[in-house]
Amino acid sequence: MAAVAQSPSSPAVAPARSAGTSRSRRPKQNFETWSWFFMRVSGLVLLFLALAHFAITHIVNDVVETDASFVGERWDNPLWRLFDWTLLALAMTHGLNGVRWSIDDYIRSRGARAAVKAVLYTVTGVLFAYGTFTIVTF
Amino acid sequence: MATTTTAPSETTVRPDKLVYKGKSGQWAFLGHRISGFLVFMFLLLHIVDVSMINVDAELYDELHGLYGNILLRIFEVGLLFALLFHSLNGVRIVMVDFFPGMVRNERRLFTGVAALTLVAGIPGAIVILWPFIDGKIL
Repeated sequence: MAAVAQSPSSPAVAPARSAGTSRSRRPKQNFETWSWFFMRVSGLVLLFLALAHFAITHIVNDVVETDASFVGERWDNPLWRLFDWTLLALAMTHGLNGVRWSIDDYIRSRGARAAVKAVLYTVTGVLFAYGTFTIVTF
Repeated sequence: MATTTTAPSETTVRPDKLVYKGKSGQWAFLGHRISGFLVFMFLLLHIVDVSMINVDAELYDELHGLYGNILLRIFEVGLLFALLFHSLNGVRIVMVDFFPGMVRNERRLFTGVAALTLVAGIPGAIVILWPFIDGKIL
C-alpha cells in the first residue's frame, strides 16, 4: 500500500513543490488577470470618487440645489471636470467589467451571451462617449 | 461491502436538506453583484439626465427637480446603501485577496461591512429624507 501511494505522482509533484515558493511560480498573465487586478485598483479609487460625489450632491448640498447653475459653477473649474470625467471613466469600465462577469456566470447559451454582450458594449460605449462629450463641450 | 454501509446514509439525505443556504461569504457575493448592477444601471440613467444640461438648461432643471420628490429620495437612499455596501464589501474583497490570512476573519469582516454600511447609511438617509421628515410626514 505504501509503495502504491508513493508511486507515479510523487516524483512529479515533489520537484515542482521544492523548485519554488508560490511567488517564483507565477502563472502566465492574460487579459483576465489584468481585469481582476483592474477591478481591485479601480474599486479602491472609486470608493473615494463615488462617495465624495454622492456626499457633495446629496449630503452637503440637497439634491434640489444641484441645478444647472450649480453644475455650471462647478464645471467652470477644469479640475472638477477632470474629477467628474475620471469618475465617469472608471465607473463605466468597472461596471462594464462587472456586468461582463455576471453575463459569463448566468447566461449559458453562446448565442444569448453574445447578443447580451453586444447590447452591453454598445450601450456602455455610446453612453460613455455621450457623457465625455457633455463634460468636454459644456 | 461498501454499498451496504453507504446506502442507508444516502437514502436518509432529504432533498430539501441539499439546498445550500449559504454563509456570510455567499451573501456578500450576492449583495455585491446586486448592488453593483443597480449602481451601474443608475449610472447609465445619470449620464442621460446630466447630459440634458447641454440640450437645454431648463429641461435639465425640470428633470432634475424630480430627484427632490419623495419616491426618488427613497430611491436615492437605496443608491446610498448600495454604494456603501458595494464600496465596503469591495475593501473586504481586496483585503482577503491581498492578505490571504484575512480569510480567517472573513465572518467578522462581513459583519464589519454590514455594520459600517448601516452606521454611515442611516444618518445619510435621514439627511436625504429630511425635507419630508421635517415638514411633510412628521
